[in-house]
Amino acid sequence: MIWLTWRQYRRQALFTLVTLGVLALIVVPTGLAMHAKYESSGLAACQAALGKTSVITQTEAVSNCASLAHQFEQQFGNLVFVAILFVILPVLVGVFFGAPLVSREVEQGTHRLVWTQGVSRLHWALVKFGLVGAITAVLAVGYALGVSWWFGPLVSTTSRLGYFAFDVQGVVPIAYTLFALALGVFAGTYWTKVLPAMGIALVGYAVVRVAVEILARPRYLPAQSFTFAPDSKQTPNPAAGDWVMDQGVRNAAGEMVLPNAQIGPCGPDGCGNTGAGAGAYNWVEYQPGTRFWTFQGIETGVFAVLTAALVFFAIRRVRTLS
Amino acid sequence: MELAVETRALGKRYGRSWALQDCALEVPAGRIAALVGPNGAGKTTLLHLAVGLLRPDAGEVRVFGRDPRDGPSVLADIGFVAQDTPVYRDFTAAELITMGGKLNRRRWDAALARDRLAALGIPPDKPAGKLSGGQRAQVALALALAKRPRLLLLDEPIASLDPLARREFMQALMGAVAESETTVLLSSHLLADLERSCDYLIVLQTSRVQLTGVVDELVDAHRTLVGPRAGSESIAGVAEVVRASHTERQSTLLVRRDRTAPIDPLWTEHEVTLEDLVLAHLAAAEPRVTASAWGVPA
Repeated sequence: MIWLTWRQYRRQALFTLVTLGVLALIVVPTGLAMHAKYESSGLAACQAALGKTSVITQTEAVSNCASLAHQFEQQFGNLVFVAILFVILPVLVGVFFGAPLVSREVEQGTHRLVWTQGVSRLHWALVKFGLVGAITAVLAVGYALGVSWWFGPLVSTTSRLGYFAFDVQGVVPIAYTLFALALGVFAGTYWTKVLPAMGIALVGYAVVRVAVEILARPRYLPAQSFTFAPDSKQTPNPAAGDWVMDQGVRNAAGEMVLPNAQIGPCGPDGCGNTGAGAGAYNWVEYQPGTRFWTFQGIETGVFAVLTAALVFFAIRRVRTLS
Repeated sequence: MELAVETRALGKRYGRSWALQDCALEVPAGRIAALVGPNGAGKTTLLHLAVGLLRPDAGEVRVFGRDPRDGPSVLADIGFVAQDTPVYRDFTAAELITMGGKLNRRRWDAALARDRLAALGIPPDKPAGKLSGGQRAQVALALALAKRPRLLLLDEPIASLDPLARREFMQALMGAVAESETTVLLSSHLLADLERSCDYLIVLQTSRVQLTGVVDELVDAHRTLVGPRAGSESIAGVAEVVRASHTERQSTLLVRRDRTAPIDPLWTEHEVTLEDLVLAHLAAAEPRVTASAWGVPA
């Protein structure tokens, strides 16, 4: 069985390695340049000095650090578009590895050859899913580590919890990839033509990922909020990596008067007439950047459960398919 | 008498329509059995049930007394060549033989497969997708034979082959099973290809078994009678009229004999051929679309 699986998938495995090799050619030089600049410009040191608290007192060091971060973003910000490529990569595994795994056998009738030999279908499914899953997992780990390293300096100027940034770092890319694979395999057991199975895998992956990202992720833990007066010399810490969900200016009664705005820090003459009235304050609702690994763990768990369910139903279906 | 295949009240349903219904048949071990019927009669369904690809919705099927879905040990005794002889098209013949060895650890005669393909001049290093249909069918047959099966099931193996490849395939098959004890169950909608090779017959029509038995006995049990135009009255020595055709003055009947009495001398008796017999049974059971389904007067 192992020989058969390898014989059937060696071409795809080679193709994947070549693809990852080409990506490495982009990622390694740009990553080294980014990391060098991150250290040499002093951005790394100043961010470390600011710490992770959400609100800090406005000092010269804070504005210096913010300006260094701005420069860094100016130089490397367009690489964020490469990150979009990394977001798409897992679904390709589902579409090209997962979806044909069963559906191609049925479409070409070879399931009638392989399922009538001296190997049970359960055995066939376990070895095939297991081996393809294991190879995918190894590739995904390499990919996740590489992209996390590459993307680290860029997200330090915003938030690791933000869209895209969260999706290509830590352990979630591995979970996404295995989920995409399982979804592809599952789709292939119910839509036993290769192209429809691929389409279902693609659409299904996009729907689930977007739903989790938009609806579930901001609610994994209750959001926190902080407030600071415009003339208080307090300011959100640019190095905290907090994921800002909502912000604005509230008046003395606590009503939102200027959504998505912030007043101050003001000069020594006060803030003048801001239209918000006396006693108005800045309000920020956020998920703390320190929750990154907690959120990674929760999201990985969600996709691990989905993956296990899909594998279970795929195997059940294989045993009754004809 | 050992039974290679035995079914009891076997049925398989797709949605609401039965692809095979109330099927009771026996294939004794050592026979070369032909499974004959038009397209859609349920031949493929029956074979898939026998090889465990399908689960019955009614009744049961036994291969050498065991349920083919009981696990790989039952499948080890069955060689199966599916319709259109599917093989992995990017595998070479040599790789397919290697694959068979990996999937059949208990019993696998790779030398047998190689010898056969070498004798047929099939290149070992060409992808199966680039072989001709006849060559691919031979590869599929070699893979099934290398399991050294006690039962060989073939689903329309020659339907898509040209006449020369058909003859070569049947020769290869008969040569291979002649020296072994292998039981063969072979389906086809072309009786002519099987007539010379098979000694057991199963006729399927509209998801039911119409006729089953040893070929010689079946032929011997039937007669064609030609005589005066007849109505529905019974004839001495005739157990059943399978099919009747009439002209203005005479009737031609294909009948099953009643061996206890000689046939009425009013009728001229002729021996039947296997083909006459099968066609008569198929025609007798042919489904008739009712006139009302077309919305026309009957």
